[in-house]
Amino acid sequence: MTLGESIADGLAEIRAHALRTLLQTLGVVLGVASLVAVLGLVDAGRREAMAFFSEVGGLTKILVVNRPPREATVTARQLASDGLTWQDAQAIRREIPLVARVDPMAGVPLKVRHGDYLREQTVTGATPDFQAVYKFFPARGRFLIDDDLAASARVCVLGESAAREYFGNEDPLGATLFLGDVGFRVVGVMKRKEFYFNEGSDNALEWMNRMTLVPLTALYTRFTGDTQKHLAYINVLVDRIENNGRATEAVKALLHRRHGGVDDFEVWNRQEMLTRADEQGAMYKALFLTTGLVSLLVGGIVIMNIMLASFQERVREVGLRKALGARASDIAIQCLVEALLVTGLGGTAGLALGVGFAKAITALLDRPAVITPFMALAGIGASVATGLVFGLYPAVRAARLAPVEALRYE
Amino acid sequence: MPGSAPPAGGSLIRLSDIHKIYDSGASSVHALRGVSLGIQAGESIAIMGPSGSGKSTLMHILGCLDVPSRGEYRLAETLVSRLTPRELARVRNQRIGFVFQTYNLLPRASIVRNVELPMMYGGVGRAERHERALLALERVGLRGRALSLPAQLSGGQRQRVAIARALVNLPSILLADEPTGNLDSRTGLEIMALFEELNAQGHTIIVVTHDPRVASHARRVIRIVDGLVEDGSSSDPGVEPTA
Repeated sequence: MTLGESIADGLAEIRAHALRTLLQTLGVVLGVASLVAVLGLVDAGRREAMAFFSEVGGLTKILVVNRPPREATVTARQLASDGLTWQDAQAIRREIPLVARVDPMAGVPLKVRHGDYLREQTVTGATPDFQAVYKFFPARGRFLIDDDLAASARVCVLGESAAREYFGNEDPLGATLFLGDVGFRVVGVMKRKEFYFNEGSDNALEWMNRMTLVPLTALYTRFTGDTQKHLAYINVLVDRIENNGRATEAVKALLHRRHGGVDDFEVWNRQEMLTRADEQGAMYKALFLTTGLVSLLVGGIVIMNIMLASFQERVREVGLRKALGARASDIAIQCLVEALLVTGLGGTAGLALGVGFAKAITALLDRPAVITPFMALAGIGASVATGLVFGLYPAVRAARLAPVEALRYE
Repeated sequence: MPGSAPPAGGSLIRLSDIHKIYDSGASSVHALRGVSLGIQAGESIAIMGPSGSGKSTLMHILGCLDVPSRGEYRLAETLVSRLTPRELARVRNQRIGFVFQTYNLLPRASIVRNVELPMMYGGVGRAERHERALLALERVGLRGRALSLPAQLSGGQRQRVAIARALVNLPSILLADEPTGNLDSRTGLEIMALFEELNAQGHTIIVVTHDPRVASHARRVIRIVDGLVEDGSSSDPGVEPTA
């Protein structure tokens, strides 16, 4: 008997017992559905986080921020420490070889004026590395360059929204923008940055489009007069992702030393964050995968049970087939094919249901879900494996039936 | 092709001192106690005996559904008592056509598919299988019902389908176990007439029955009592049938 004929026989058997097959395969359906939905949700969450991170510095980014003292009384040592400074940033660049880029930033609120426009905005002081860290590139004109920094040049670069807000339909490039009372020449307008976590949500990167960027040095000399050159935060890019941990420790140690033993800063390692998120995701994953696997296990046992129960009514058929010349292997294959068809159908139904679950969760909870071909294969594979494992025993039992016993069975 | 022509220089079937002992724990049942007999190709034989006589066991051994505990069984010069289960399956498929009391048709398969079943296990291609099944159905007068399901047929018709199925691989022997047991007497007569007709065409037919009227259609009767062949004169190996 060929495989095709076994499959045809199996399908006929399934069609003849549609309800039984449905009940038989329910566990597999739900198991696969749960597997697929969970994989889809967890994977989509991770992909989204990765996509967002790659927009704002990638996984090799370490963020160093100021931490104001939490204690009610501030010690003299804490008072003596200056917080993050331009010198800190330079020390990091100079002393830690694992560091590829250092991007210090500071901000100051200033009155921004052009023509009729007058409004207080945060003006950001940055360095040329900013655009590489944030993948923030000019649409027209140029970004800040080293010469601007060296000369504390009175040039500025605008985010797309800021440019529109200040200049309306006017061409900002080459125009003068007053920050405080100092005129700055607009040398570049940046490309728009966008990232939406969900359809219909706000642009998570709109803050970049609203930026007014000047050379960091100009911020100090023209406005704050801050000789200490305080910073709001420092972005540090590590050369390779494997070095993240070491670089983080090195930055902490360096700043600890430079700040006289006062930890008035925090160092956030993005990979650590992602790892933490992954661990959390892994917990959910493990939970639901276990549920799915238990469901598959129960489904498999149900399938075996029903096969063994229906076995009794098919003993005569097995005997007849053997009398007509079926070999033990023919019978075993026929039984296995039937089990595989049942679980295969269950797996397919489960896949469809799982996609439905994932879509429903997306709709209800605003969580993204993706179903990749791998997940589909994993789902079907798991169900077919269930059929193989739990169909084996009934198949072997049927194959071993002595033809006489089988025919004699009433 | 395993035809119905007798193998040169011997019987189609030769049983020598066949014993069958069923072991069931403490007690063992000696179902056959040394049966020896020969059957020539083209014979029409009835195996008779009361229940418990061992006639069913004999039929199972003749049909290669079971193997003897002791003794030799040659079918067309093959020593089938020494074959593996897999080889026995092949012998059943190619050399033996079974007809059962309860027809044993697959209820969900069409008539023609039921008849095709032995050829499926024999590895016959789809087109040839279908054609041969239809020819076999024609021989039993049911070609017109090829696409019906067994449940749509009368008992007599179902038994004729079973006979078509038994014939379709051109077996050496047709082995029928109480073939009229579930039929009314008139339909039973029709089935026996069909067997006689097939025998006249050269088929070797062995009918196992407890019914003397069924046995009367056979040209030779072998009686089994208490695991032994009763009628010594007609059961010696190689003895020609008495018409």
